[in-house]
Amino acid sequence: MRLGDVEYKLQKRVSLSGMQAATISILAIISALALFSLIFILARINPLIAYREIFSYAFVSSYGLPLTINRFIFILLCTFAFIIPFKAGLWNIGMAGQLYVGTLAAYAVLYAFGVNEFQSLRVSPQLIILFMLIAAALGGIVVGSIAGFLKGKFNLNEIVVTMMLNFIAFWVVSFMIKEGGLFMNPGGRGESFELPASLQPGLIMGVPFTIFIVLGAALLLHFMFARTKIGYKIRAYGHNPTAAEYAGISPLLIPLLVFVMGGALAGLAGYHYFAAVPGVYKIARTYGYFGDLAFYGIICGLISQGNAIATIPVALLFGGLSIGGRFIQGKLGMSFGVDFALLGVLMITLVAFQFFYRYRIVRVKTRKESMDVGVLR
Amino acid sequence: MWEFFVRSLDASTIFTIAALGELIGQRSGVLNVGIEGVMLFGATLGFITAKTTGNYLLGFLVGIAIGGLLGLLHGFFSITLGGDQVVSGMGIWILGFGLTTYIGSIFTGPLGMERIPATLGLSPFFFLGIALTAITWFVLSRTSLGLMIRSVGENPTVAEVSGVNIAKTRYLCVISAGMLMGLAGAIFSLDYNPVWSYNFISGRGFIALALVFFSMWNPLILIGGSILFGTLWQLSLNPQMLLPGVMSRYIWRTVPFGITLGALLLMSTKWFRTKWGAATPEALGQPYVKEG
Repeated sequence: MRLGDVEYKLQKRVSLSGMQAATISILAIISALALFSLIFILARINPLIAYREIFSYAFVSSYGLPLTINRFIFILLCTFAFIIPFKAGLWNIGMAGQLYVGTLAAYAVLYAFGVNEFQSLRVSPQLIILFMLIAAALGGIVVGSIAGFLKGKFNLNEIVVTMMLNFIAFWVVSFMIKEGGLFMNPGGRGESFELPASLQPGLIMGVPFTIFIVLGAALLLHFMFARTKIGYKIRAYGHNPTAAEYAGISPLLIPLLVFVMGGALAGLAGYHYFAAVPGVYKIARTYGYFGDLAFYGIICGLISQGNAIATIPVALLFGGLSIGGRFIQGKLGMSFGVDFALLGVLMITLVAFQFFYRYRIVRVKTRKESMDVGVLR
Repeated sequence: MWEFFVRSLDASTIFTIAALGELIGQRSGVLNVGIEGVMLFGATLGFITAKTTGNYLLGFLVGIAIGGLLGLLHGFFSITLGGDQVVSGMGIWILGFGLTTYIGSIFTGPLGMERIPATLGLSPFFFLGIALTAITWFVLSRTSLGLMIRSVGENPTVAEVSGVNIAKTRYLCVISAGMLMGLAGAIFSLDYNPVWSYNFISGRGFIALALVFFSMWNPLILIGGSILFGTLWQLSLNPQMLLPGVMSRYIWRTVPFGITLGALLLMSTKWFRTKWGAATPEALGQPYVKEG
């Protein structure tokens, strides 16, 4: 393309520095928010006012900020569940199914201890909470490993498999908490029994303790991919599975391993939202909504290019946007699903920006002589 | 019993038409994992158009048009920009899921129009599905256009040398694929189940994707698979019609998804592949970059 005496050309990138990747990602987010203004304009709302409301509720207000942090922890766990398989070139879109089963497993621990009678067993609540955490991770692992195993052993498309597992897990939760299911709330209402007060983990400075799990996981993942042999093997497999196989990397083990790790983290995301966040402490009737929120993990993982540390600010931003989006929906009288619409617009903008991770636009000054020739002609 | 059978065939029509679209795209080498999103768009915009104008035909046309547009978008990302087809497909799915939730929510509820007349209880779209399958089979395996499409999906370099325009052929396939998916969505929301609710395609798009792998890229096996899945789906919605009182209705709802996994597993076995011959288009999922 030519503008004046400067010509613009596309050039394939040889390498992409962290700084360049970050710039592109930030530009992608800004463009998505700009594009989303159209939706506000169509709803006859000034986008500047809308964004001011979103950000001030999500990050400043004393009502919104704790919600943002809770959601940030959830999205970050889902993001990790996505990026570990993604480093191996595999798509885990089954965070929803993994977190449903993780949640069920955590509640199964309570059920096994007899919900309210556990105190007479003289087991400390801390121990039960620990068991619940382990069970949640194991539940996620069971679901995740199905997809990993089927990919590694039979080369089944993991997108289809994880999606099918999402739906199966969704209906299993309904089976457990509705119409006489084992975990049904005694009052009915289509939700599970409530967590006894002694098992509701306290907050540390207003923040659920799961934040330490997720920040620890971020550091651990960063270290694993940067420094360890297994991290290297995963990346090698993601780069070229066939070549990795010749280099002695097991084509069964890697898919299984990444889905086990991803599933465990997604399972913990389930524990977080249904057993550690104030005001819930049960498997809510609207659990499907939380499953759908897990898809924010996909975008967050893609935007941060699989970098575990970079996901932290991105997840915080998306947590705030989804909470703020929900808030202005009520406040400005918009119809249901502003947060999901934002999710969609962010995703498609990001897809368009993928291009810039691979190509760059270079400016070539056209030489004066050639211009003169043009004029003479 | 007859009613159940008819309902199953109606359900299978949606799988058939959506999966045919995907099959055409994949035969030309372009994988679109965003069928669910395209169907959601076709279903939602078709529903809104029909509801506001009171005209079925307009509803279907809008469904087809938005499907074609999304196909074009997928083509732009994956053919022109040469991007990762899975990333683009996922983008279309999440865009469809997110945006239709917002756009459609004020239209939540029944369509409230006179139902499209049926013959012998069967919706006219069942016959359309059969006709489209026959046409697709004929075009793909008996015409020079079909040969072009298949060669582009198998070995684009060789196809280009023999004078086929890769980009043009792929665009043609991806756009018609999108139109079929959009149509399938519109049939769902205007004929099969004319009630809008959020995310109401509920996984049919992903099952259609699995069906294409299952069909070995053959339209005739595909229609057989669709009827199987349509029946299972219908059975899972009303198990009392065949097997009253067996299992909770929630467990029944998992059946089509479980069977899909089983079917995929079956076709991955050595026995199945040697018997039927895997016909995966060789260049599936790979962007074509001209060398030199």
